[in-house]
Amino acid sequence: MMALVLNRAFIFSRCHQQNGISILLGPCVTGFISRPYSTYRRPGTKPDNTPHWKTINFSFQNAADEMKKRLGLIKKEIVDHCKGPEGRSFVEWMVEQTRVVWEFRNQKDLDGWVVSSDAEIGGKSEAYLTLGKNNQSALLYGTLNTDVPRDGETRRSGYCSMRSKLQWGAFNQKNFYDWSTFNTLHLRVRGDGRPWMVNIYTDPYYSHQKDDLYNYFMYPRGGPYWEEIKIPFSKFFLSSRGRIQDNQYLMWLDKIRTLGFTLGDKADGPFQLEIDFIGLSKDGAYTGEEFPYEQYKRNP
Amino acid sequence: LSVHLSQQTLADELMPPRLSQSEVELNSNSNSSEDARTKATFQKVVEVFCKRDIRRRGHVEFIYMALKKMPEFGVEKDIAVYNKILDVFPKEIFVARNFIQRMFNHYPRQQECAIELLEQMESYGIMPNNQTKFLLLQIFGIKSHPIRKYQRMMYWFPKFKHVNPYPVPDPLPQDPVDLARHALQRIAANFDARVVVYQLPMTELTEAGKESDYPYIVGIQSPEQRSSLAQHNPDRPVFVEGPFRLWLKKTCVYYYVLRAELLPPELRVGKAIDPERNFYYPMVLDLDLGRDRLDDMEFDTDEVEEGPVFAMCMAGAGDQVTLAKWILGLQETNPILSQTPVVFRLSPGPRELQPITGSDDDGEEEVFENQHWKHEL
Repeated sequence: MMALVLNRAFIFSRCHQQNGISILLGPCVTGFISRPYSTYRRPGTKPDNTPHWKTINFSFQNAADEMKKRLGLIKKEIVDHCKGPEGRSFVEWMVEQTRVVWEFRNQKDLDGWVVSSDAEIGGKSEAYLTLGKNNQSALLYGTLNTDVPRDGETRRSGYCSMRSKLQWGAFNQKNFYDWSTFNTLHLRVRGDGRPWMVNIYTDPYYSHQKDDLYNYFMYPRGGPYWEEIKIPFSKFFLSSRGRIQDNQYLMWLDKIRTLGFTLGDKADGPFQLEIDFIGLSKDGAYTGEEFPYEQYKRNP
Repeated sequence: LSVHLSQQTLADELMPPRLSQSEVELNSNSNSSEDARTKATFQKVVEVFCKRDIRRRGHVEFIYMALKKMPEFGVEKDIAVYNKILDVFPKEIFVARNFIQRMFNHYPRQQECAIELLEQMESYGIMPNNQTKFLLLQIFGIKSHPIRKYQRMMYWFPKFKHVNPYPVPDPLPQDPVDLARHALQRIAANFDARVVVYQLPMTELTEAGKESDYPYIVGIQSPEQRSSLAQHNPDRPVFVEGPFRLWLKKTCVYYYVLRAELLPPELRVGKAIDPERNFYYPMVLDLDLGRDRLDDMEFDTDEVEEGPVFAMCMAGAGDQVTLAKWILGLQETNPILSQTPVVFRLSPGPRELQPITGSDDDGEEEVFENQHWKHEL
């Protein structure tokens, strides 16, 4: 208990040193930390040279709200820590064979997801996320368009994606999903025959790994039936900025930040994907391989 | 030899730059009507370029242009053509000879160009073959960037070649009936399901001189679906819904579904045995033997509840008359359908080019008795 508080205090102090604001000023300021992390800039646009102090939105009202939220979060974290792993009893955590991480039953479940498409880079695809029939599933639909934006630099276009939002704990520290007790990702989906890619983002150890993603494919059959898709975590391969890497590593299952789906099969036209839930399971049938990709040192 | 070479250099100096010539050639070939845009023409252009100059001046620009023009000539999925283009590179000149050259990017423009070629192959899903490898080795030597790219492709392509559990044939069948059969078997996900072709596509000339089209109708039904339809209460209507999309690679096809609404919960209970029927021993035993808490593999979530699907079909036209013919065909194997009202809930599909006369609203519902339709047809 004491260790937890100390740990929190340590991280708390460290994370604000990084951002260059003192502990007391931190909560008063918004817009500073939540700057977009992406370094992508559309070709032809000028770099955003607004100084940092101009983007700061200082107000005591913010500070009060923020402190209230953060204290609530830290209280929840302490209580959860006393209860057991992830706020559940230890026995429950030990015997669980399956876990539903995301399900889609109301608008609040959808708010935890971000939908994006190549409209960000100037493309013409569209993607929307709504609740399905009878509020029982999420419906991701839209149109894929592979027209390349005419900016002279971009050479390929045409993707739509959906990603869960990053989780933040008390005092803006990262929250991870710990899936290390499971070995399979279990999805219940209904697609329209298009192949999708499942992306998992883990916390980067070094900042130059911030574009690393673990990917694998998902092939919904299409048709009127729901289907269950199981993907073992070992199958996920490492890619960075859309390129498969030569050196493959096992995913760190205790440091998972987000999960997402991407469509980019170069077929122009409407698409749709319905997702019932996204869960995890301990698949006893999948015990064979530890890692399917070669790990020996290759000829440099 | 030296004389010959000097003559060549002279000729090079005298001739106008190659780039513009080759470009003009590609463009003229694609523009002129007698030279069709075929593989033969494309290969001829590449040969002409190779023969013109022993030094292959302007070959990088030529290759970029050729790569860009490949889809126009319909050769973007032909490994032989890619090898032919790769053959344009002069051999053995760009091979690094010592470690310093190997360390620094030796002939970067040429290496980038070859990588671009391999990347185009990658994006079209073309696997390099041995000839590609020999050409690359001859041109750039081992441990060059294009060879690295080749090695990566050869590592990952076979890994993901058969990763799709429901593979789509390549190329897809041209005949719409075959395509419909394949698509229906794919979405039915049942090996027992039987495909029935209710009507083959044909055009008939009536006596009045009017042409009447008969679109194809292909349906699928599994034995389980047939038995569940037989148990369906004929007082409750069944619905024909559609069109729904199905993508097979880059082709989009549409299918229709015959389904019922979900029963209200009070009717869904079915045959529960009254516990007071027998006081001496239980009529139902649900012991769940051999199950531990560690064996509980169920997900703690409510399944999406939807009405049962009784049959699926694909048709050449999405209008109600065509689909009514499908229902008529289904009646032969499912006699209960002749007593059940069928409701058509069709959204204006992309296949219906002519606007619906009368009402334009989405999903118009029209109830009709099947016997009545049988009479008419």
